[in-house]
Amino acid sequence: MSEQIENAKSYVELKDINKHFRDFHASKDVNISIPKGKLVALLGPSGSGKTTILRMIAGLEHPDSGEIWIDGKKVNDVPGSERGVGFVFQSYALFRYMTVFENIAFGLRLKKTPENEIKEKVTELLKLISCEGLEKRYPSELSGGQRQRVAFARALAPNPQLLLLDEPFAAIDAKVRLELRTWLKEMITKLHITSIFVTHDQDEAIEVADEIIVTNQGRVEQSGSPQELYSRPATPFVAQFIGNSVPVKNFERFKHFERNDDDVTAILRPEFVSVFKEGEHVQYANSAEQAVVEDIIFRGSSLEIRFRLHENLISAYRSINEAPIEIGEKVNAFIYRMFVIKGEEISLVNNLSIKQESVII
Amino acid sequence: MEIRKDSGIMKWILIGISFLFLGVFLLLPLFYIIATAFRDGIGGYLVAVTDEYAIKAALLTLKATLISVLINTFFGLAAAWCLTKFAFKGKKILSTFIDLPVTVSPIIAGLIYVLTFGRQGILYKYLDPYGIQIIFAVPGIVLATIFVTFPFISRELIPVLTAQGTDEEEAAALMGAKTFTIFRKVTLPHIKWALLYGVVLCTARAMGEFGAVSVLSGHLRGKTNTLPLYIELLYQGYDFTGAFAASSILVIMAIIILILRLLLQNKGKREV
Repeated sequence: MSEQIENAKSYVELKDINKHFRDFHASKDVNISIPKGKLVALLGPSGSGKTTILRMIAGLEHPDSGEIWIDGKKVNDVPGSERGVGFVFQSYALFRYMTVFENIAFGLRLKKTPENEIKEKVTELLKLISCEGLEKRYPSELSGGQRQRVAFARALAPNPQLLLLDEPFAAIDAKVRLELRTWLKEMITKLHITSIFVTHDQDEAIEVADEIIVTNQGRVEQSGSPQELYSRPATPFVAQFIGNSVPVKNFERFKHFERNDDDVTAILRPEFVSVFKEGEHVQYANSAEQAVVEDIIFRGSSLEIRFRLHENLISAYRSINEAPIEIGEKVNAFIYRMFVIKGEEISLVNNLSIKQESVII
Repeated sequence: MEIRKDSGIMKWILIGISFLFLGVFLLLPLFYIIATAFRDGIGGYLVAVTDEYAIKAALLTLKATLISVLINTFFGLAAAWCLTKFAFKGKKILSTFIDLPVTVSPIIAGLIYVLTFGRQGILYKYLDPYGIQIIFAVPGIVLATIFVTFPFISRELIPVLTAQGTDEEEAAALMGAKTFTIFRKVTLPHIKWALLYGVVLCTARAMGEFGAVSVLSGHLRGKTNTLPLYIELLYQGYDFTGAFAASSILVIMAIIILILRLLLQNKGKREV
């Protein structure tokens, strides 16, 4: 009884899932809970087991142990075709010997839908994906973006309750990818369909997803909103993986950072650092450290300044509207905070001078 | 410039060699077959071709070919399908065994069946009481033909199926398609041309098979003599007109197959 109530809250639930491919442990005690109507990203480096999780939810793989629940029903023994899922493959897997129309109609025909309803539904979907007039084309005659949309429409045609997308943007060139991301998010929000997509691109996950599940080496490291993952990483892996994080050596030599323990390491993100020219007047100028700029990378809207401090190559962003900095120039760098890792524990440590100055004020 | 001039000469040399080679080794003998077949005039040719035993041999060849091709189409599809779509133990071994008939001499293939089904064979005592005769009978001929031709279809299909991957089938299955529907709607359109091409190759090889069939047939005129065996028989009997006339039937059948092959190749290419 209590289990039913628990499941009512989450639409998709994985409990203690384990999966091996021969000797490879692809999923280790995976526990996931996905609320209805959410757009969720499975984010992790390649080989981290994210696609395996997606394929198990779809019924394309079977877990060695553990339970999969969809919509309050245990589906371990339910074939994929009866789980009410739509699946968009990384390669789209459009039927290449069928027209766009036949591709989208395929699932409906299997359900013995009357011909006039099929026509209606396909026309409606083609309009939704803005591909009207392409129904007679074959997949080979479509652009990458169009193929992706047709695959999306094909997955949606049989009215699934759950949409699964495997690296949906991986095979598309950069510019179209950005457009499609926004498009997909809008589509899914509009249709209000619970969706899970797999990606290795954190920007993609942060931009598109309501919630992100971070996987690493077959385990779920953390799940939460993009903001949560960003500001409160639960594990060292998440802290390193999210943001342009760099590990920091010689942590104790940084000014105004205390080292209370011996075996700690630290992680630094560019947004934790600010860089200013000598003589520039800014807050905390007194607490800054001197460094020499080694490299400057133009990022369009900002500059990434790289400098070396206590044998670490550290990045910081600087607006292009500020006074220009050159390579080889001596600058002042102020580090606001760092993630400090001790074993599996992680904490955010602020620069001590921030506290002191605030006391003075 | 230098290279281009060179390749011009090289091109013509290579073309020349190819044509000369084909001419000496293929066209000349072919011409000789036709010429000898008509040595005694059209009348002699027609008599030889319409000979009762010649017709029976031709029919037997067609029959054995048809059965073998049908069985091998089924087997070839099954083997290619399981080798490309599933992972299982013994996959490599199966894959290697499929190629065996290409590497083993057809005579040995024939002997294998004699040893298995013959009077001294292990299965003889089980089959004989039911009156089932394999060797020195039509079933033996069919068996031998199947053996020598079974890699042809699967070997054509495996590369195509491997290139396609399993995504489309998985997509269809997730939408609720049953295995046979998936095969008919998704897989078959993809492998259609490769399959037909394999069937053509298999047919050509089956029609011409001599060695294995020779061991198993027993050479009973009008009963177990296929066209190639009949030709040899006539040739051994110094009936050159008859032998070459019968050969010309085989040549004509081969040319029909060749034209079919060409048509299929072009059609397949256009669709891809």
